[in-house]
Order: sequence, then structure tokens, then C-alpha cells
Amino acid sequence: MMEAVPAVLPASAARQRRQVWSVGGGKGGIGKSLITAALGYQLARVGRKVVLVDADLGGANLHTCLGLAGPSLTLGDFICRRADRIEDVMVETGVPGLRLISGASDFLGAANIKYAQKVRVLNRIRALDVDIILMDLGAGTSFNIIDFFLVSDVGILTVVPEPTSIENGYRFIKSALYRRLRGAATNGTVRTIVDSALDHKNPLGIRTPLDLLAAVEREDPASVPVLKQQLTSFHPRFVVNQVRDPSDVSIGHQLVTACARHLGVKATYAGYVPFDDSVWRCVRQRRLFASAMPDCPSAQKVRELARGLMQGESLALTW
Amino acid sequence: MVAVLVGNHYEVLGIDARATPEQVERAYRFCLEMYGDASVAIYSLLDPDEQRRARSRVQEAYEVLRDPFRRHDYDASQGFTRPGAPMPSLPRPAAGPVPVRVPPPPPPRLAAPQVLEPPVDGAALRRFREQRGISLKDIAARSKIGVRYLEYIEADRHALLPAPVYLRGFLQEYARATGLEPQRTAEAYMSRLRRASERQ
Repeated sequence: MMEAVPAVLPASAARQRRQVWSVGGGKGGIGKSLITAALGYQLARVGRKVVLVDADLGGANLHTCLGLAGPSLTLGDFICRRADRIEDVMVETGVPGLRLISGASDFLGAANIKYAQKVRVLNRIRALDVDIILMDLGAGTSFNIIDFFLVSDVGILTVVPEPTSIENGYRFIKSALYRRLRGAATNGTVRTIVDSALDHKNPLGIRTPLDLLAAVEREDPASVPVLKQQLTSFHPRFVVNQVRDPSDVSIGHQLVTACARHLGVKATYAGYVPFDDSVWRCVRQRRLFASAMPDCPSAQKVRELARGLMQGESLALTW
Repeated sequence: MVAVLVGNHYEVLGIDARATPEQVERAYRFCLEMYGDASVAIYSLLDPDEQRRARSRVQEAYEVLRDPFRRHDYDASQGFTRPGAPMPSLPRPAAGPVPVRVPPPPPPRLAAPQVLEPPVDGAALRRFREQRGISLKDIAARSKIGVRYLEYIEADRHALLPAPVYLRGFLQEYARATGLEPQRTAEAYMSRLRRASERQ
């Protein structure tokens, strides 16, 4: 019923082209950083050259997830030009092949970086000699976060099976998509329609990307194909974290189905990670569960997740 | 407005026109959970009214596709042909509501039907049904049992319930529609009823 989205290149091709993966989710405290760290660890273990980027500017803690002290130079130093080269703010993690660009926990102003600074950061990061750049995005749906998500080759959306997290997940998808559609708009009419869609109580009654397309169809039919192209090439990948029972696993399939039916978005279900006491025990000890307890259920699922993402596979709904 | 659920009955359940009865059943269960009152996945995407409408579209699609006769007629009207699909060969039931139903054999399903812990009374049935996000109307549409009788069952209005021979069938239909094990559910409810009347 739902086939894999072939956006991630197979291992041989991945060597030729570096990829940006990002982990977002809208809501705080749902395990984005831990999943990012564990994924990075797993990718490095199977031979990828990985750099983790803590893009949670203002709330960075990826270094803690990895059991490292806060590095003396961070992304914040690069942004405000205290460090010239992005390499200067990159540190070894102790895991071969896995390096870290820490966030700007010492520099609160970095949470509101300007667009030009963001472009500079992204370009320098993209130029690094690695296979996979894995970014941990902060909570929320600010442009900073969404722009990082949108430039990614693989956009991972973390949710936990709770209404608050799901609500923020949908909000994240809509915000990202509208930002993308706005960027693709070729005239003021379409931009106005997209802008009004951002307001939940908009007079056009737009609540979903499908509504938005219908509104553009009425006002400016010529713009529909380019927007449709943006819509159909947007493929968020859900990861359901803190899964406690089989019905929680099913939520991932329901999210994918709901996105297709009610938002017109072709999402996929990349995988899930079980709720696991080993994880928080490791967090307490400032150790990464994926390396400290590689046999725990969460670590096993992260391995499957990493493999699936590398091969562009997803969990399919079969009857 | 959100497009609640559009398309033909197969698209509503998210299945292929060649789906087997088992697949129809599994897809129905999935959609029921997804659009149920307790659904997390649909939260904030649909408002309660849209959710109800989606659920009734799912129910409508299922009613047609679970019945070999109705599915056959529907496929013919939509121009679907199912190579290899068995033609319904049994005599067709008379049109119109059938006053007393013989319960059909239980449809195959993915999840094993559940068994409630005693006491299996009206309140327990109701709690289970509500957790599943199934309305009495859904059950009535599926089983052709009047909502009134379903309400009497849930309210334990024993004096108003039909004779045991009918009540057993009603309870089994109720159980099937909500995902409970029919025989044991009916037996548990009825033995409790017997004990209550003996006490009087």
C-alpha cells in the first residue's frame, strides 16, 4: 500500500554524496536529542563518517547525551565569528567516525540568528568532508528550525504517543510545508494566500495544505503545478518514540495514513523506539544508551531505524 | 473544510478492490481505531464532528464490503471486477429489515476478540465500546438491532430486554461489533442476569 520513498541513496552512492539528515518534532522533551545521538552512533558504527550538529540553538545538550563536557568552542562561536572555520568548533566524541558540533548553550542570542548567518552555517556544514550530517533541531516551529529541516535530504519527525506531541507534529508539518510553498510562490497572490493559511482563523477557511491548493486553484490556477510539486516532494519520516504497546506502534501507521488523507502529505513511518528504563538510567549517568547498553530494546530498534533510513525503507502497512 | 473521507468504499478503508474478507476486516479495525473517540493520531487534525463523519463513512463502507451480496452489487455498480472472486451462491436474503436475526458466523479478524473481566454488565460493555470509539448507532447499523435495545442492554434494564433466546443473539452481535468474543461475552452477561433474577 505504501512504498518506500527512495530519497536516501544506497551505501555506495552515499559515499559520493553527503547527506543532511535532521531530527525535529515540534515538542520539547520527546527524545529528539537522544535519538539523534543514538542514530549518529549507529551510523558511525557501520562505517559512515558522521558529524552531529546540535542546532538546538539556545537549548543545546547533545554533548551531554554523548557523555561529553560542553566543548569550549561551539556553533555559537562560529556564528558570531569568534571561530573562523566550522572545523574549529567540531570535536571528537571518542567514537571513531563520529564528531560533534555543539550548540550554542553559552550564547542565547544565537537562538535568533539571521537568515544570512543561517545560510553561511548551512553552506559550511554542507562542505564538510563527511557522509552524513545529522542535525538535532530544537523544539518549536520557528523559521530557524524549519529552515534546517527543509534543507535536509532526510527530515525525521519525532513524536511520542500523546495528543500534545501529535498536535505539535502536525503543526510542524504544516509550518514547514507552508514555508516551502511560500518560497516557491511566483507571485504576490499566492504568497498572500500562503500567508493567510498560517493564521488558523483565516477568512479563506484554509486548514490544510489541500485547502490551500484549492484556494490557489480558484485565484491563480497557473501556480498550482509548482505548488503541487513542492507538496509531493515533501516527505517527512515519522519516528514514534516511547512506544509502550502494540497500539502505540500502530500510531505511526495512522499518522502516515492521516497525513496522506487529510493533509495531502506523503509521509513515511521510519520506525519506532520503545519506552525503555535503560535509556533514562543511561541519561542519568550521562552515557549514551546505544553504546552503554547495546542490547537494550531501544538500542536494537535504533539499529533497525538507522538501517532503514540508510536504505530508504519504511515500515509498511499491510493488511 | 477538511476533506473528511472521499472516494469509494475501498478508498475509505484504504484497501484494494481485490481485498479478501480478512483484509476488509483488518482495514476496518484500523480505521475504527484511527477515527475513534480515543484516537491520538487524528487529534487536532479533525474536529469532533469531522471525526464522527469519517467514522460513519468507514462504517458505511464496511457494511457494504463485509456482505458478499452487497459487495458484489457494489462492485458491479462501480465497474470493479474481481478476478477469482467467488460469486455469492447462497439464496439472497429478503429485502428489508429482518425481525429476528440468526447471528452470522464471526468474521475473521486480525486482533483476537477480547474477553472482559467479570462482572460483565451493561456498564462494562459500555466502557469497552466507548474506549473503542464505537457508537450505539454504529452497532445498530451493523447488527440491525434497534438502538433502544442496545441502550437497555447497557443500562441493565433487564425487565425490558427480550426473551433470552433473542437476547443471546443481540449480545453476540454487540460483541462482534465492538471486538469482544461473542459467545463468552453473551454467556457472562446472561449468567449475571440469571443470578440477578434468581435473587429477586
